[in-house]
Amino acid sequence: MNANKIKIVKTDLDGFVNVPINMQWDFIGNDEAISSYEIDVINEVINPVADFEISRFAHNVFPNQDSAINYDFYFYDDSAPITANTVGNWGITYLNEGFSVKDVYYYSKPFTKSFFKLDFYTTKEEKTQQIYLSIVLPVQQGSTETVLLSPQLGLVEIKKPKMKLDYIGDKEGFFIYWLRNRNFIDINRFYMTAKFFDGRTGIFKQMTNTQQNLITPNKFNFDNSNYFYYRVDLDYDNKTYEVFSTATNQRVGDANTPIKFYEYVNP
Amino acid sequence: MIVDPTTSIILSTQRYKSAPRVDQFINVPFAQSTKTLTEYDRSVDISLATVFDEERQLSTIFRPVTKFAILFENAYTGSTKYVPFRDNLYYTNAIINAQDYYYQGNTMAVQPPATDQNIPWDGFPQYSEFDFIRTDNDVIGYTQPPNNHVTFKNVSATTYNWSHYISYPYKNNFNKTLSAIEPGTNIQWSWVASSGLPYYVLVGNDKNTRQITFKCPMTHGLSVGEYVQLSVNYNGNQLFQVSSLGTTGSGSEEYIFSISNIGYTGNVFQTNSKGTFKRVINAGNSGDTISEYYVRQHKIITKPECAVLVNAGFERNIYGNKQKCEIKVLTPNQKVRNSIKEGDRSYTLSFNCDVDINGLKDNQGRPLTELFFTTIWRGYFGWTSVMREGWYFNTYLQKGKPQTWWDTTNANANVNISENFYTTPSGGNVKFYYNDLLNTGSTLNGDFCEWNNFDQFERVISTYQHKIKYNENWFTIKNKLPTTNQYGYFYQPHNPVQIASFSDYIEEGSSANVVGIPDYAYYSTTTALFRWRDLYPYGFIDPNGVGVDYPFLNGAQYPFTNTIFRITPENYNIPSDYANIGSVPVNITTITDPLVDECE
Repeated sequence: MNANKIKIVKTDLDGFVNVPINMQWDFIGNDEAISSYEIDVINEVINPVADFEISRFAHNVFPNQDSAINYDFYFYDDSAPITANTVGNWGITYLNEGFSVKDVYYYSKPFTKSFFKLDFYTTKEEKTQQIYLSIVLPVQQGSTETVLLSPQLGLVEIKKPKMKLDYIGDKEGFFIYWLRNRNFIDINRFYMTAKFFDGRTGIFKQMTNTQQNLITPNKFNFDNSNYFYYRVDLDYDNKTYEVFSTATNQRVGDANTPIKFYEYVNP
Repeated sequence: MIVDPTTSIILSTQRYKSAPRVDQFINVPFAQSTKTLTEYDRSVDISLATVFDEERQLSTIFRPVTKFAILFENAYTGSTKYVPFRDNLYYTNAIINAQDYYYQGNTMAVQPPATDQNIPWDGFPQYSEFDFIRTDNDVIGYTQPPNNHVTFKNVSATTYNWSHYISYPYKNNFNKTLSAIEPGTNIQWSWVASSGLPYYVLVGNDKNTRQITFKCPMTHGLSVGEYVQLSVNYNGNQLFQVSSLGTTGSGSEEYIFSISNIGYTGNVFQTNSKGTFKRVINAGNSGDTISEYYVRQHKIITKPECAVLVNAGFERNIYGNKQKCEIKVLTPNQKVRNSIKEGDRSYTLSFNCDVDINGLKDNQGRPLTELFFTTIWRGYFGWTSVMREGWYFNTYLQKGKPQTWWDTTNANANVNISENFYTTPSGGNVKFYYNDLLNTGSTLNGDFCEWNNFDQFERVISTYQHKIKYNENWFTIKNKLPTTNQYGYFYQPHNPVQIASFSDYIEEGSSANVVGIPDYAYYSTTTALFRWRDLYPYGFIDPNGVGVDYPFLNGAQYPFTNTIFRITPENYNIPSDYANIGSVPVNITTITDPLVDECE
């Protein structure tokens, strides 16, 4: 528009200038706003780029440079009712769980289909917690115990639920595979519980971190957050994790202080 | 523009009584606060493919992965008296060794007899000494107490023998001194990389043939019609046109070229005379078309702890696991065991850290098109010492012996990796050597290459090699070679994975006519034009198959390659006939294997 050439001269009528207000105009600066909005819309419609790549978190070495993580799983011998005196009824053996020596020695299907399941939760509070990952420990892993198979076949070595997981050897479940980028889920602490899936019965058995007979005042009615969990801390820089007792806050998992889980017995 | 609709314009004479008559104007300001609205400005079609491609092209994050298939032939037997090594060999001369060692005899089910600890035992170091992941973490007396050599830490299982990194070529070393030999002759070259390629005259003017024929110890990269600029001159002329390639031998065209003999005299082209040459594409423009020769230098860009090495599923190579049972009475420690000579496992290498190539340029100042998996011998268990570097043309034997290049006294073959050592109680003060881990920013030599500005192409002339050899203090190979230049194993440290591609055509233009000339283009002062190859976008492969297309997800690129990692023996020594190198080897499997041995 060249305004300087507009000249309004006197007439007998009132003079008007019609200025078009047709909306063919837009405020400058909206372009940028639209571009920015476009990104928002695209992110909303297509989803933004999120990094779901996982990294391998290994168990951190102890001061003695030992990297192994040790799990001891205790099963309760149901032959006696659980009391304050039945301390010895927990044992690191599948026989207490009801498997026969032959089941374990010959790797019967119900035995090989059984496994331990470690679940990792965001908190210890059952009402608000979310499970983010699980690790399965197959029963084929672990050390052995010597038992009598039969009078004719004599003593044999069978698997027992005492596992030493490391970089080599038994390593199923040694590593935690978790998001390497913290932008999507920023979490560096999990609470770990254990369950045992019994292939004979097809049910999961919950496990506690303390022998049930030692739980006071009531071994059947206790605060779950104190007796079902171990704490697992992730180190994103070194891609390692460490396990701590929720009772003592001391690091556990080495050969002297293995991570212990005890079969929970219903009243 | 906003105008109040109630605004009225009246005659000037009517503004007030006796108002003068004047012309009236409306000043419309030039200042714009509005613009024309173009249709579709506010309606954008979102294409998932377009958005994906934009993100892909912009991403500079790489997560390279490779699968290593290891090919290794355990070729050198030797002997050792050092107990942890001695007790863990793959024995090759067990009966004779046992006779000397158990000088009072040795039979099963009898208390172990007296032994002569000064008797060395012969054999191969087991495969675990070379494997990518050591699994011998439970060998009492070797990796576990008592009297062990090393207390095995499982966390180091993947770094005891080898360490893995990502590197890229970042500059050129034109001044590296190189050396090569012509196998079977006394011809030897020592030259500086920038001088070009060595040659010797295979058929000279003294043979009175129509052509003068040259032979190189490496591929020359020449084509008929191109030129060579020799290091010598004939009457002041150094440029000669290539008239033919090769002789009658298959593949010889890569190593042999000829120029026309137009009646040259004198000794410049005499048979067996030698020198170096450079490739020139166009004699009329030798300034632009002459090749440069150099050794690439690599920079490490990942930390050693970033590497994640795992078994590649159940994959095994076709050569199988070579193992045998060491019978109790034929071992120095009276223990039956399986010993493994060669393994067959494959491994997958990935990295816990992302590789960001933003801002990185290759050795020609161009965007990176290759990353390298750099694998370095660590040898923490101390069987070896003084690792050497060289190139593939140094791996040829020089009259049945290692080239003098590999001698430990040759400083040009020193690797840029610091060597460390330790001692053990049972080893006394004698040192066990190993290579330190590298860190980000460490530099290493790389392949010997040719670059031509006219071609805009880099050719690998000879691959970079490391040579590892046994520490004679602990493991002695019995032959007549000097201890400073023994046989060893070669491996190629840098294995590439392609992450992008340059076009197979060359662009040429001036800045006045062409927009978007890349900053890495070569400017020819002769033609006053830029020359360059276009960088293909990720996911584009041209009809000739040039280009890359690998997964892009999580905002990162996932290039993958299969790598065959060869650990190649320099030559075979003779297991039971050390005195006569080159004689027919005695069959080391003369001890027949029992149908059922003690290991079962």
